[in-house]
Amino acid sequence: MANALLSLNVATRTVNSGSNAVTLLDKINLQVKEGEFISLMGPSGSGKSTLLNCIGMLDSFTGGGYTFLGEPVHSMKEKNRSKLYKEYIGFVFQAYHLIDELTVWENIETPLLYKNVKSSERKALVADMLDRFNIVGKKNLFPIQLSGGQQQLVGIARALIGKPKLILADEPTGNLNSKQSTEIMELFSQLNKEGVTIIQATHSEHNASYGSRIINLLDGRIVSE
Amino acid sequence: MIKNYFKIAWRNLLKKKGFTAINIIGLSLGIGCFIMISMFVIDEISYDRYHEKANRIYRINSDVIFGGTELSMAVTSDPMGEVLKNDYPEVENYVRFYASRGSKLIKKGSEYINEGAVAHADSTLFNVFTLPTILGDPKIALKDPNTVVITETAANRYFGSPQLAIGQFLETDDNGKTLYKVTSVIEDIPKNSHFNFDFFFSMANVEYDFGNYLSHNFHTYVLLKEGVDYKAFNKNFKAIINKYLLPQAAQFIEISSMDDFEASGNKLEYSLIPLTDIHLHSSRGIELSANGNIQYVYIFSAAALFILLIACVNFINLTTARSSSRAKEVGIRKVLGSEKKSLIGQFLTESTLIAILALFVGLLFVWLSLGWFNNVSGKEMLMTSLLSPKFLIFIVVLPFIVGGLAGAYPAFFLSSFQPIKVLKGKLSLGHKKNTLRNFLVIFQFATSIILIVGTIVIYKQLNHIQNSNLGFNKDQVVVVSNSGLSSETRQSLKNEIEQLTEVKSASFAGYLPVSSSSRSDTTFSTEAVMTESNGFNMQYWNIDYDYLETIGMEIKAGRNFSRDFGSDSTGIILNETAVKLAGFGDPIGKKLYTIDSDGDLEGYTIIGVVKNFNFASLRENVGGLCFQLGNNSWESAYRFNTTDISGLLSTIESKYKVAAPGMPFEYEFLDEAFDNMYRQERRVGTVAMAFAILAIIIACLGLFGLATYIAEQRTKEIGVRKVLGATVANIIKMLSKDFVKLVIIAFVIATPIAWWFMNKWLQEFAFRIDLTWGIFAVTGFVALVVALITLSFQAIKAAIANPVNSLRSE
Repeated sequence: MANALLSLNVATRTVNSGSNAVTLLDKINLQVKEGEFISLMGPSGSGKSTLLNCIGMLDSFTGGGYTFLGEPVHSMKEKNRSKLYKEYIGFVFQAYHLIDELTVWENIETPLLYKNVKSSERKALVADMLDRFNIVGKKNLFPIQLSGGQQQLVGIARALIGKPKLILADEPTGNLNSKQSTEIMELFSQLNKEGVTIIQATHSEHNASYGSRIINLLDGRIVSE
Repeated sequence: MIKNYFKIAWRNLLKKKGFTAINIIGLSLGIGCFIMISMFVIDEISYDRYHEKANRIYRINSDVIFGGTELSMAVTSDPMGEVLKNDYPEVENYVRFYASRGSKLIKKGSEYINEGAVAHADSTLFNVFTLPTILGDPKIALKDPNTVVITETAANRYFGSPQLAIGQFLETDDNGKTLYKVTSVIEDIPKNSHFNFDFFFSMANVEYDFGNYLSHNFHTYVLLKEGVDYKAFNKNFKAIINKYLLPQAAQFIEISSMDDFEASGNKLEYSLIPLTDIHLHSSRGIELSANGNIQYVYIFSAAALFILLIACVNFINLTTARSSSRAKEVGIRKVLGSEKKSLIGQFLTESTLIAILALFVGLLFVWLSLGWFNNVSGKEMLMTSLLSPKFLIFIVVLPFIVGGLAGAYPAFFLSSFQPIKVLKGKLSLGHKKNTLRNFLVIFQFATSIILIVGTIVIYKQLNHIQNSNLGFNKDQVVVVSNSGLSSETRQSLKNEIEQLTEVKSASFAGYLPVSSSSRSDTTFSTEAVMTESNGFNMQYWNIDYDYLETIGMEIKAGRNFSRDFGSDSTGIILNETAVKLAGFGDPIGKKLYTIDSDGDLEGYTIIGVVKNFNFASLRENVGGLCFQLGNNSWESAYRFNTTDISGLLSTIESKYKVAAPGMPFEYEFLDEAFDNMYRQERRVGTVAMAFAILAIIIACLGLFGLATYIAEQRTKEIGVRKVLGATVANIIKMLSKDFVKLVIIAFVIATPIAWWFMNKWLQEFAFRIDLTWGIFAVTGFVALVVALITLSFQAIKAAIANPVNSLRSE
């Protein structure tokens, strides 16, 4: 049996909007094992993105417990938290969020810079990644010169370069046409087979079907699994 | 990592060319201005430091008040140096300069050249000062009479080279003709020196009644021994006065003791001033050159610093205003694992890069405007002075300081964005409620307004000086030098030129009411026995019958000297202040007494009173003055009445050339000589104006950038408003209103500050303008109009844009 990667124990997130407290995530209980490919589904506003952000430690739960690789994230300091996600988590966004001023190569290289990886090693890793995604010819182009699908490929390559244990993808194909979508989903599926844990938020049943487990959210609550 | 920072910084700069240009232009103006003023300040404070013993050399200053007339002099009596050296072991040595005559005619071939940079010096010159010799032995150079030490420039001018000069003779017009042997050639005296002589003649050739404690004519420098405190040493002068001065003074004036002398409101004080303080802290009578002013060094430094800050403010405002365009990048980088401090590093790298670029552009500005600045400041600074090691370090460090100053706040501001917010587009970076930005805009405009007020006040004051009633008429008078001419020639030339139809009147004029002219003062008493209470000191000028008419002075009472009265040689004419000093109600016919050349008191009858006229600077009140008939003919003054001035001048010149072949023809217009008295104020005025213009340009650049950004941000809002029926005028008003408010607040803050500073500056003038509300109103109006014009470029562009376009783009 695979190890537990993370577990949420009645995790809650509430925010104050004016004088009302709004509950965005309500008593979420969730165990994620290494190697899983989970799809979060639900209508707009159901809390998919919030859950992803909280798991990715960009946001935090306001109540309950969150354990990542056995470490209690909820009681961690900001600095250790960022160390943790830097090490183990990669993000893929709907809007790709590449840095416009950097080339494909530089975009992919950036996370390595923040991990203080040596220059020669960086070169080798980025070159491998370009190779693997078949975008060697595009390495000196800027994001604006690429199609949406190509940009998302770069986005995924960038998320993978740090060898994360977990990839969090928020509507990764939301801005793509069906052909590009399929390519991306197949890539995810391939990555999952190689051992990367993936959690994606999606509207599409088809995309969700690539995953090993589907979680339905509604109004911040897990309604079915 | 740094490489990555630079790469992205560079690409960002290229991407936003408009903002980059505004930032770089603004910062480069600031940096350029700052470097230029630093050069100026470093030059000013470097004066006289080239002497190896500079920190032990002091000049003796004299301060005398006698009968209400105050004299602050850079000179002292001739025996003072020797007395100090003999009586006080703290004094290692001393040297005196005697430069009372101001200039000498020196013969070159068959022509005479009028040399102004001349002095007689003691043979101890080289023991005190560091003046490197090229040829000759400095130890004996000035020991003998008829010896002269000259600079390399002078050697080249008269002999072709230092080698050709040594051992040769220079002919001067001393006593008609005197030869001096060149015993040593020294390097040219550095520009940053308070004395700049080309010729040092032997002191032995000075014809002077040596041993006179009561006449102050020698610039005297003492070299104190290591570790002597000059302030403590100053206390010794009291003993010197009692021991040497009083016995000599008692021969002429009945002085019982120093205490009684002082009790009658008189003063006699000597003090030492450090050599290195002379340039910036001394502006006494009879300085060896026009000195600088520490106040202006402070003011210029402050202004340059403020202009640099204004430029930094532009960077801060523009960078934070357009932060939304960088927010996404910040968010992504944080998600990718960047820590806050590395983002701060990145943004600081960017601001530093901009500062480095601005430094190069700024150096270009310095290079382009250095000629102008030298002209204005009267300096001869070179770009190469920037290459000195100290300056080089300063220049290398400067962009990092500026980059940090300008970049620190934006860096913290930008790097503190939360990724989750910016990536979801939730971050609202509105244009409103940015207190810091408003504060900084106010700061920029307040500084600009203060500088503009300063400029206007300085110019108004200069104008006031030029047009105020001086008590004489400075216009249409040319003053011609008579040096080298016999007194018969002077007389005949004057008579001949007086006949010209263009010449209204002519007189000899050894003394003129401009500070570049000669001065002479002496002591008078109202009774035949001079005491410390009935004696007073005043100017004492020899003039001829036509002087008052030629210079345009007004007789208030009595009459002018007249050829019809044989007794006028014992008559005197006073100015109004002198009448007051003497305490006469009706002065005409009363007598004043003064010491004649035999040491006896002689009485003179007052025959007239002239209206007070400004013979010193307008900074001072008019002092007492007495005219006596005499034949002081060093210069002639001609009042003319013609528009063909060059024609008249060439006529006069040809007459001088015929009468005195080989002599230099030198002339000066009285009004120009008068204007020269205020050269420093004029310089300050010009520099202040440049500062004010720079400040307002930089502030407006920033305003322009902000307006551009805000108009861009509010495009959609403007579109909607226009669809709803807003007119172009409504839109312009909406976009300009907030900024206009800031400019008005800036004006309110700046007004009292500017008033305080300029009021203080004006206190230096005895004759000054009032600070009227009009000056401030004009300034406020100018600042507002300039700001409005700047804003309107963007506001109008945004307002007249077709709303369909802006709405469709959303």
